[in-house]
Amino acid sequence: MNSETNQSRPEVKVRVEYSKTCQARYIAHLDTIDVICKALRRLQLPYAVTQGCHVRPKISFGPPLPLGHASYCEYFVLTLTEAVDSQTLQVSLNRELPSGMRVISITNPYVEARSGNFGEKLHYRFSFTSAEVAETAQQWLLNPETAFSAESKGKTRTYMIKSAVLGASIAKNDSLILEADFIQGQADVPSVSKIVTALAGFLDTRKDCLRLIERVSLSELQQKQEIPAN
Amino acid sequence: MKNVIEALSHWELLEIEKPARYLGGEVNQAAAKESPALRTCLVFPDLYELGMSNLALKIFYESLNQRPDIVAERAFSPWPDFESLLRRRGLPLYGLESGMPLKDFDVIFVTLPYEMTFTNVLNILDLAGLPLAWKNRNDGPIVIAGGPSASNPLPVAKFMDAVLIGDGEEAIIEICDSLIASKRAGASRSETRQALTKVEGLWVPEFPGRVKRRVFKGFSQSQPPLKPVVPNVQAIHNRAPLEIFRGCMKGCRFCNAGFFYRPKRERPVEDLVKYAGDLLQSTGEESLGLLSLSTSDYNRLEDLIRSLDKAKLYPEQSVSIPSMRMNDNTIALLDATPHIRKGGLTFAPEAGTQRLRNVINKNVTEEDIISVMKATGGSDYRTVKLYFMMGLPFETDEDIHGIVDLVKRLEAIGKTTKPRKQISISLSGFVPKPFTPFQWSEQASMSELRRKRQIVCRGLERGSSRVSWREEFLCLLESVLSRGDERVGELIESAFRNGCKFDGWHEFFSKEKWEKAFADTGIMAENYLRARPLEEQLPWDFIDFQVPRAYLENEYRLAEQAAGEQA
Repeated sequence: MNSETNQSRPEVKVRVEYSKTCQARYIAHLDTIDVICKALRRLQLPYAVTQGCHVRPKISFGPPLPLGHASYCEYFVLTLTEAVDSQTLQVSLNRELPSGMRVISITNPYVEARSGNFGEKLHYRFSFTSAEVAETAQQWLLNPETAFSAESKGKTRTYMIKSAVLGASIAKNDSLILEADFIQGQADVPSVSKIVTALAGFLDTRKDCLRLIERVSLSELQQKQEIPAN
Repeated sequence: MKNVIEALSHWELLEIEKPARYLGGEVNQAAAKESPALRTCLVFPDLYELGMSNLALKIFYESLNQRPDIVAERAFSPWPDFESLLRRRGLPLYGLESGMPLKDFDVIFVTLPYEMTFTNVLNILDLAGLPLAWKNRNDGPIVIAGGPSASNPLPVAKFMDAVLIGDGEEAIIEICDSLIASKRAGASRSETRQALTKVEGLWVPEFPGRVKRRVFKGFSQSQPPLKPVVPNVQAIHNRAPLEIFRGCMKGCRFCNAGFFYRPKRERPVEDLVKYAGDLLQSTGEESLGLLSLSTSDYNRLEDLIRSLDKAKLYPEQSVSIPSMRMNDNTIALLDATPHIRKGGLTFAPEAGTQRLRNVINKNVTEEDIISVMKATGGSDYRTVKLYFMMGLPFETDEDIHGIVDLVKRLEAIGKTTKPRKQISISLSGFVPKPFTPFQWSEQASMSELRRKRQIVCRGLERGSSRVSWREEFLCLLESVLSRGDERVGELIESAFRNGCKFDGWHEFFSKEKWEKAFADTGIMAENYLRARPLEEQLPWDFIDFQVPRAYLENEYRLAEQAAGEQA
């Protein structure tokens, strides 16, 4: 699989969905991009490259995963100059990724939907060591009055989380698991990263009971999402 | 505790900067082995990002892990935020691969790349829960140091069970074999150390005697590390390193590396092209770094660059050449090969006048520098960096004014070229090093270095060049640490106890703490900074450096003559 720049060849896009768990969840977003680009080079995939002074693989990534969050729905879209077999690509990429990163599925070819830039909807799972703290966290997330302050572009801003939380419920079969849905990527809507940091601040010394934060699913919003009144 | 990493909580890891530095799990990390005969840990006494760029670490990691009976892990200096976490939790420093505490390894190999890491070494031993002095370590791992800053082992003799002088490739295997044999025989710690004295190049403080610098004669035919660990946090040098030759025969009289790595040994072009392919394929690095002390002195550089150009594996592949001695031909060659990274040109004239360059035997003429500067017109290079030293032996104020004059001439040429060149000047005080012809020279005082620096800064204040310099006290300290005797170990320990660490980082370096260490130990810096007569016995004379003392003496006299004849 040798990659040569050839503008006359038709380009094919593939979407690679991967998980980032265990110690890999502490690899920062830019380092993750670097790790993936190196894996693609090791495979010598026939990827297209950007034009300009600094040539790079033509690749785009999903929204950054906050440091420390595990995820089962990360993705990147890679442009190739020739078709590749999905199964072979998945097996070979898995061989080249660091411990804790794993390809889950490949969409090949991938046709990109028109993006209206309405942000994304995210489903999260929070694992606690205490059912009481899980319930406290649920109440905090569902309280329409919950607000917090955070730094944004050098300024301190106050956010109401009701603009971001679509719902939060304790798992039916496990009182230590809190599942929550969020939207992010819209104006004045705080990111999940900010909300989780604020939640940890709220829990204070009890935050150690929140032992794992997992991004379970992610979908791009095709229109502006209205938040139901809590 | 078997795995320290597992004891760290999610929120604790989020408190620290770049937690991936401390978690391992990178591509090409060595696999665990069942009951190895020897567990070794390679320690680099600086941050992960620097250590992961260190070539020695890659060489030893690969060669040791190729042995089925040896495990080699890695450990780096933790940044103060992570160190605080470890100390607060009472957790020891550990190997990244298994999370096993350092004190449970059989041997710790410490690389000493520069003197300013000495306090970090003590910090690592302390974080491992090991006594600092070898005499107080009755169990736990044997601690062995090596690297360019260990060429004079006396300043670190108090802390090390053994110090390797010279190349480590063969010696490290022999050391491991010796340790395995001692372990199997149930040897005492002292017996283990005594057995190590048989390894050529290894100096054991408990059994001091003459030692011969180790030279890896098979370098040219040897395979470099081809499957290095790919860091999960971008390393300081984000490239696949390929050492094309070792050693340098230019004979610059100030250069410790030039003598430490002698003789010059080149790898053949054909082998290097194959190695480059394997290395890029196993790392996926965008850039291949051709490493040596002076890459333009590689005999078949043009062949090599053209062959590498033909054998590209991926479109964005580039070559970086960090140590080029520039001339018109190299500029033409580099311009003809588009995939070479053209960040900036770097020159090290070292001295401002031809007289002084002759004294230090730096074979660069003013004409060379000026003609290269002219040749950069029309090339992609936009920045030119020049390194100068001050306080060199036989230096006069005229030489310092010479720096100003040379830079002004280059500024004038830079203004006429397209694109215009941005010139940066880096000034540093000269530090005399052991095993060089200037090992007898006086270290210039702080006030002298400062005065000379001000001459340059004032002379260039209306120009367009950016001038940076190294803190003068650091030069004096480096001089004490590199030409020290065993007493300097007390100074290093005292500085460490005062809180010194990361001394190479300006945000952490504390002149006051080091001054206190001098005062507390009663060590007079002047004793180490003074000029020494040629006939004086030097503390490190017990080392056969494979460069005869008589040769160094003669080189010193030649420098003296060059200064006298042309002054």
